[in-house]
Amino acid sequence: MDLKNLKKLALLILLGAAGAPALSAQQTFNTTIYFDYTFNLTHDGFLTGTDAAKVLDNKFAFRRAYFTYENKISDYVRFRFRYDADNTGNIASLSGAKDDKLRPFMKHLYLQWNPDFISSVINIGMIETLSFKMAEDRWGYRSVAKTLLDIYKDITGVDIRQSSADIGVSWKGTLAKELRFGAGVYNGEGYSHPELNKYKKIAGYLQFVPTAGLSINGYVDYEAQVPTATLASPFALTYKAEAFFEMVPGLTVVGEWFTYNNDKFMNADLSHYNVGGYSVFGSYKVVVDKFNLFARYDHYQPNSTQSVKNQALIILGADWYAWGSNARLQPNVWIYTYADSNKKSDAVFSLTFFLSF
Amino acid sequence: MKNRLLKPMIFAVILALAGASLLLAQKKMLQVKGSDTMINLVQILAEEYMAKNPKTPIAVIGGGSGTGVTALINGTCDVADTSRDWKPTEINQAWEKGVKVTKFAIAVDGLSIIVNEKNSLTKLSMPQVGAIYRGDIKNWKAVGGPDQKISLYGRQSNSGTYVFLQEHVMGNKPYSTDMKEMNGNAQIIEGVLSDEAAVGYVGVGYVLDKATGKPMKGLRVLNITKDEKSEPFSPLDKQAVDTGSYPIARPLWQATNGKPSGDVAAFIRWEVGPEGQKIVEREGFYTIGAKYIDMNEKNFK
Repeated sequence: MDLKNLKKLALLILLGAAGAPALSAQQTFNTTIYFDYTFNLTHDGFLTGTDAAKVLDNKFAFRRAYFTYENKISDYVRFRFRYDADNTGNIASLSGAKDDKLRPFMKHLYLQWNPDFISSVINIGMIETLSFKMAEDRWGYRSVAKTLLDIYKDITGVDIRQSSADIGVSWKGTLAKELRFGAGVYNGEGYSHPELNKYKKIAGYLQFVPTAGLSINGYVDYEAQVPTATLASPFALTYKAEAFFEMVPGLTVVGEWFTYNNDKFMNADLSHYNVGGYSVFGSYKVVVDKFNLFARYDHYQPNSTQSVKNQALIILGADWYAWGSNARLQPNVWIYTYADSNKKSDAVFSLTFFLSF
Repeated sequence: MKNRLLKPMIFAVILALAGASLLLAQKKMLQVKGSDTMINLVQILAEEYMAKNPKTPIAVIGGGSGTGVTALINGTCDVADTSRDWKPTEINQAWEKGVKVTKFAIAVDGLSIIVNEKNSLTKLSMPQVGAIYRGDIKNWKAVGGPDQKISLYGRQSNSGTYVFLQEHVMGNKPYSTDMKEMNGNAQIIEGVLSDEAAVGYVGVGYVLDKATGKPMKGLRVLNITKDEKSEPFSPLDKQAVDTGSYPIARPLWQATNGKPSGDVAAFIRWEVGPEGQKIVEREGFYTIGAKYIDMNEKNFK
């Protein structure tokens, strides 16, 4: 879908939504903001020791600002429209340009249909993808950090073509209390770009819940790639396995592992490499709705043939419901370590303010 | 790096632990969330229980049955109040999150269909109520009332009463889009009192004037028949509700994560015991019968 068609789709869905208030009064507006004061605890690390990092060794930043409109058109149909704004414009930039404003962009624009059939949820439009929603829901601290697949490109610089939203259709359902599934077809370009080729991403998962509070999830996605001079029919595959442990009240422990195999990922000597990583995280509600603790360890392997590129990220933090569940303070520390002995470790502290109303 | 990091990290850990200790030192409050139909009743039950057990603080919050269900699944309450049964999708969600839903019936409600006192109508059949709320019948004349367009008052979809009526009376069909979606039972009553063409549905505990024990002035509580041929019964008739003759009676539920213990078990046991049931009756709802007493007992064990 090109930009022109994307605009048409947006217009059509917006027109549909504009008619909806006549059908239902169940409309909600929500704003969620992640605001940080960040400072570097180290000034000699691989990231925090750079000149740019030294200049910006402390800053205030809006990392995210969401504005969401939802309309429950009927008991079976909902509409969601979400604007997002991140800090990639003026706050992280040192360009000095006059117009580096915090800009909103469209994140979600979809209809949700809940037919009375195996608890189905069918989304169509610019939708949430299936790749890391479950892990993100369990992590619960998107205000502090994205989960492994989502943050991968930010940490390693390697684009594993995973996005939290994309244009397409998805279907989730429950076959039995112990077995759920999801399937989706999207452009594969995420919400940041229009479709650039004829190939679509196909994704699916199976989730087993053998006992209350224990889930095991297997996920795979596939997308054919544009041929090159040396590759006639390249493709990319992501495999992911997750385990969610929620059997003890207040305690959530999650492990996720993935590997990404893109035929186009080659070293200078034309040998192929994979990309992968794993993450283990947990949170504990010390006092429900008042105080939680959370911790996470991520391991990144951006090139399976060069272990020197491996790196790890440790996140430690607390979540204090300072002004209720909608206004919280989340102090957290990120510690980066590197397999490359030439790179010194980094540590960054953030005082994150979470606001939702 | 190690020396630079050590001090701030130790400081952060001490700060976090100190904060946690202070919060843990506070007495944990028993959290009850959910049904707006049940909120007045459960608040009074909690107040009377706390008067006898001052060391057990209880907070009761409404928001609708759906709010209670979500809170129990997310572990943010100890007891979820619902004026409807849990849906299979909710049981599945709870299972995934490690919550084993255990239910207790604490009272019985005769869901009351109310109209303005100036409306001459005295009874409706269940199919007629369903047709009115679906929007298939739009004028009171079609059911023996005045020639007047029906004005629908109901709840929002997170309400258990909304779901109960839809499942048990409307054949799972959608509500009319003309229905005014009110925040609670009290707002529905206000709407019906001020609108001669109104119809609304509320828990029986809300229609009685506590001083007189009779329906509130300005309201008429309709008798309901199961079908066109059946005898009509009133939700104010305890025997009709107990025997199931009144066709839209329902239990009011509390749910916990697994078998309750400690303060939670003690509170629910008291609610379903003689003292609690006396309050249930005083507040205009009905006491639970033998069937629910047995079910509750099994779920305590």
